[in-house]
Amino acid sequence: MSEPTSALRLPPQPGEVINRGEPLEFTWNGHPVRGYAGDTIVSALAATGERVFSRSMKYHRPRGLLSASFHDPGCMVQVGDEPNVRGAHRLVAGGIAVTSQNTWPSLRLDAKAVNRLAGRFLTAGFYYKTFMRPRFAWPAYESVLRRFVNAGTVSPGTAHTRAEKRHAHPDVLIAGGGPAGMAAAISAARAGASVLLVEEEHALGGHLRWGSEADLAVLAELAGLVAAEPGIEVLTDAVALGRYDGNSVAILERRHGGAEAERLIRARAKTMVVAPGLIERPYVFAGNDLPGVMLSTAVRRLINLYAVKPGQRAVVLTANPDGDAAVADLKRAGVEVVRVEDARLGGDIVAATGRTGVRAVQVADGTRIACDLLVTAVGWTAPTSLLNAAGDRPVYSPQAARYFPDAARLPENVLVTGGIAGDGSVEELTAHAAAVGAEAARRAARTAAAWIAATPTATAPEAATTAAVGPDAEAGHEESVRHIPELPVDAHPALFAGRTNGFVDFSEDVSAKDLRAAVAEGFRGAELAKRFTTATMGPLQGKLETVNTVAVVAAATGATIAETGTTTWRPPYVPITLGALAGRAFEPVRYSPMQPWHDAHGAVPLVAGAWIRPDRYGDAAAEAANVREHVGIIDVTPIGKLDLRGPDVPKLLNLLYVNKWSKLEIGRVRYGVMCAEDGVVLDDGVTGRLGEEHYLMSTTSSGAATIWEWVENWLQTEHPDWRVHVTPVTTGYASMNVAGPQARRLIERVTKDVDLSNEAFPYMHVRTGTIAGVSDSVLWRIGFTGELSYEIHVPAGYGLHVWETLMAAGADLGVAAFGVEAQRILRLEKGHFIVGQDTDGLTKAFSAGLDWAIKLDKDDFAGKPELAWQLAQGITTKLVGLQPVDSSVVPEEASLIVDGDTIAGRITSSRMSPTLRRSICLAQVEARLAEPGTMVTVRLPSGGLIQARVTPQHAHVDPDGGRMRA
Amino acid sequence: MPEPVARSPVAPAPPVVVKAGWEVSGRRADATGASALTLTDCTPLTKVQLRAPVDGEFAASLGVPFGRAARDPDGTLVVGSGPGEWLLLAAPGQAGGLEPMLEEAADQAPGESVTWVDLTHGRALFRLYGSPAARVLAKVCGIDWSDGITPDGAAFRASVAALATDVIRDDVGGAPSYLLHCERSSGRYLFDALLAAGAEFAIEIDGFDPPGI
Repeated sequence: MSEPTSALRLPPQPGEVINRGEPLEFTWNGHPVRGYAGDTIVSALAATGERVFSRSMKYHRPRGLLSASFHDPGCMVQVGDEPNVRGAHRLVAGGIAVTSQNTWPSLRLDAKAVNRLAGRFLTAGFYYKTFMRPRFAWPAYESVLRRFVNAGTVSPGTAHTRAEKRHAHPDVLIAGGGPAGMAAAISAARAGASVLLVEEEHALGGHLRWGSEADLAVLAELAGLVAAEPGIEVLTDAVALGRYDGNSVAILERRHGGAEAERLIRARAKTMVVAPGLIERPYVFAGNDLPGVMLSTAVRRLINLYAVKPGQRAVVLTANPDGDAAVADLKRAGVEVVRVEDARLGGDIVAATGRTGVRAVQVADGTRIACDLLVTAVGWTAPTSLLNAAGDRPVYSPQAARYFPDAARLPENVLVTGGIAGDGSVEELTAHAAAVGAEAARRAARTAAAWIAATPTATAPEAATTAAVGPDAEAGHEESVRHIPELPVDAHPALFAGRTNGFVDFSEDVSAKDLRAAVAEGFRGAELAKRFTTATMGPLQGKLETVNTVAVVAAATGATIAETGTTTWRPPYVPITLGALAGRAFEPVRYSPMQPWHDAHGAVPLVAGAWIRPDRYGDAAAEAANVREHVGIIDVTPIGKLDLRGPDVPKLLNLLYVNKWSKLEIGRVRYGVMCAEDGVVLDDGVTGRLGEEHYLMSTTSSGAATIWEWVENWLQTEHPDWRVHVTPVTTGYASMNVAGPQARRLIERVTKDVDLSNEAFPYMHVRTGTIAGVSDSVLWRIGFTGELSYEIHVPAGYGLHVWETLMAAGADLGVAAFGVEAQRILRLEKGHFIVGQDTDGLTKAFSAGLDWAIKLDKDDFAGKPELAWQLAQGITTKLVGLQPVDSSVVPEEASLIVDGDTIAGRITSSRMSPTLRRSICLAQVEARLAEPGTMVTVRLPSGGLIQARVTPQHAHVDPDGGRMRA
Repeated sequence: MPEPVARSPVAPAPPVVVKAGWEVSGRRADATGASALTLTDCTPLTKVQLRAPVDGEFAASLGVPFGRAARDPDGTLVVGSGPGEWLLLAAPGQAGGLEPMLEEAADQAPGESVTWVDLTHGRALFRLYGSPAARVLAKVCGIDWSDGITPDGAAFRASVAALATDVIRDDVGGAPSYLLHCERSSGRYLFDALLAAGAEFAIEIDGFDPPGI
């Protein structure tokens, strides 16, 4: 076990975040390490003296801490089976196994570093020129190149977790929880706004967290005020990934519920305040990637947050007060600061040398200084991505050597504050932020009032004007625009690339030399140079590299930074796992009221759209045979059902169906077919008249929603004057079909109030009555199986009761449940077609054999003109019954019907008939082959050919319908 | 022949009892008060859908516009669920009892096309109660649940867990409460989705007690 080296773990620091009372043990490349709760993985390792945490992508150069933040390019590690973990941000947890990525055989002795020897052949864009020929060798090249990719490993055995999502609708969303963000949040909340404060780090405070004692005091005060405001929701370890239309903002929450668990929050904010602070830039010089070269913010974090001594002997290049403060912190931590190069006075760093870490630094006057730590403080990058997404085009200030937002381009609902907007003391920044927060709240209240006024669910309109108006507002008057003070802009030296060649993009191993070479080859703009070299395309997405890249390209082209422009910021701001993006899959499922019975009796589930239906309970053929011989019951609840009421229902039915409906009597049922306006068969079903102005329409199961929309569309857009009310009642009824020679006997045992004799209740009629003690039940004398059958619709809550009652009452009659497969066999024997199976998107009604139903003498109906045209032109294809000559062969559905080398049709439905003990089919064929008795040739998927004969009618069993009319 | 008992699409959490002719859960949640979070299957409630001209006499007599819900003197919750469409929620078994009132009201609006359909069995309906309720719903629905946009008495249709669901904010005792109903066959799915979303807030199932509205 590595104990914290006393020289590197400092005594308690005023602002430290580690909990020395809670040591945590983990492993690093198999070796045990101890840290503390609150340590990051890398801070815990750094405390033990570890300096190298990774190898670079291309050259496998040793890399260490640079920024000590989420955006540190040298600290990506594997934690267990989770690759690409940001080791300088991820908190230590007990028992984790941390390993370096893509190093072999070890991090310390990485054989892949041999790439450095081939460096001249691996310059930026090398893959456009090498590994091209011979072409056949590419697979070998690829396998070699993949071994050098600097990424972790994903185990196929990794458990899949369900990432949750959440929606949020804050009045004010504040991206950035530093002092400006906190001040803005407090101010907005006091103005009555609901505030969502999003901070990337593990705690609020921004740079105050690793600042001076005065900074810590300000932090404590601000944090206390934030906590005291109930209207502020704080999210830490969370990042605003991108801003979209209407101020929709995607937020990644990396931890919630106390665990590492990514969650996506979809926020829609009335106003957004962007307060992300600034990101410190590296300096480009030879050796700038050596372990031991750090940014000033990195050393201040290590010392003040994690109580880790960054080194023993330091050289500092400073160009601003933050660099000066780092010098003070280093000295306080006992680091020997041997030289401070002040860039404001002409100081500079020429190069750093060493192999696995900094050993010496050459400064501007040529002096070579031995050291193990080089600290740079050369300036800042403004992370403007959220502003860019809002339409801003930041402007470069040569005076300050960084970009600033262009407030004139920002939309009304986006404001900006903090270091990204200007400089100044903490007091000036928080005063600016407070004004911005108040103004954001004012604009949000105005937006809220407009939304509430437009929303029918809201309270009375007068209440809307007082919504979200806080105690500072003048009652009854819209608040006046808040004055936002100006922030000063401090001058800063323009330090980007030094006198020697160094790395610009640490993640992609792209150097200043690579960028200059790209420019020389003609890639003269920032975007072109980026794409050719991949600079800014690494895991940091440009945060540390963009401005330096632009500066090097500008220098190489002779243009200014402003003239060169930047690359385009695109969301997500930081990586997000695909699991978090996808979230939990919501897949609605629909069940019949009888599903518990199906489950208990071994039903094999059939997924039919969103429905779970019983496909079979055992042998489907036996189920079908039982229906023919005794009686069977099938759950047909998914059948679409529409309740139609009103005096104009017959008009509607005449319009939608191809047949006539004006004279349907009460108690009668009629089969109907609907066509779309192109004459293609849309749906079929039966409609019964239950009362004077009351009808019940059935549709196919899969067509239920479509037909409802179809009906409403006609009523609302074409005939709003018709008095018809349509109510979907598909699942308001539990529906079951009782079919077979014993069906009437079974129904009689459970039904009251209905005369079931054939004379009183003939085929294609409907009655209402009491079934199994349930009143208001609907009883149809219809069928799909070709047998005597009754379709029962009972209020759905009683469905299971009725089903169980029927099963019990019919035990001696041989009652048995049958599933969808048996029904398909039975209906095929009877010759009933299924819309969407025996018809397709081109099958007009005449081609489906519906000549008998189509009444072209009606005034009008949907599809009439097209059907009239079809009839006049001649029907080119027809649906026919088919029986293979070899009765044992059951051709697969969709098997082609061929005539020589041409396709003349296809099998649409095909089964072995248990009743006839032979194969039977329905098929679409060219009209010339549709004559009964015609022999056609069927090509099986195997390529074999069989002969089949066209039958006189679609029905293979009981074509005259005597059984169903019994 | 056994007496018919009606069942919800949601299998009741034990203990299972029969109330008002419905098989329901007799469970009592352990946590109480507004900070508790409970989910109750209220499917047994009577649900009658009305259709009438959006700006006619019948609509005026109801007095509840689209997007709002309010109780009438008899305690029936009248919901303006759509333009020219209302849903009446009443205690179990009241569909027949509502008819005379509806017929009388229709008679007062001659010439208007007024119809009603008993959807008691066609809709699954649940009550989500407690101060965390909006946070639960924020995990399964993108609607703004703030008091300004969806105050007590708001009624609307939205996608909840990818399912078309009608939502009514119906606060109880000053605590936030939402009635959610969907077509019956998806009831089990919606109930489970709400339970899963509420697990983070220690949601409990609470049994149904008539009148329940």
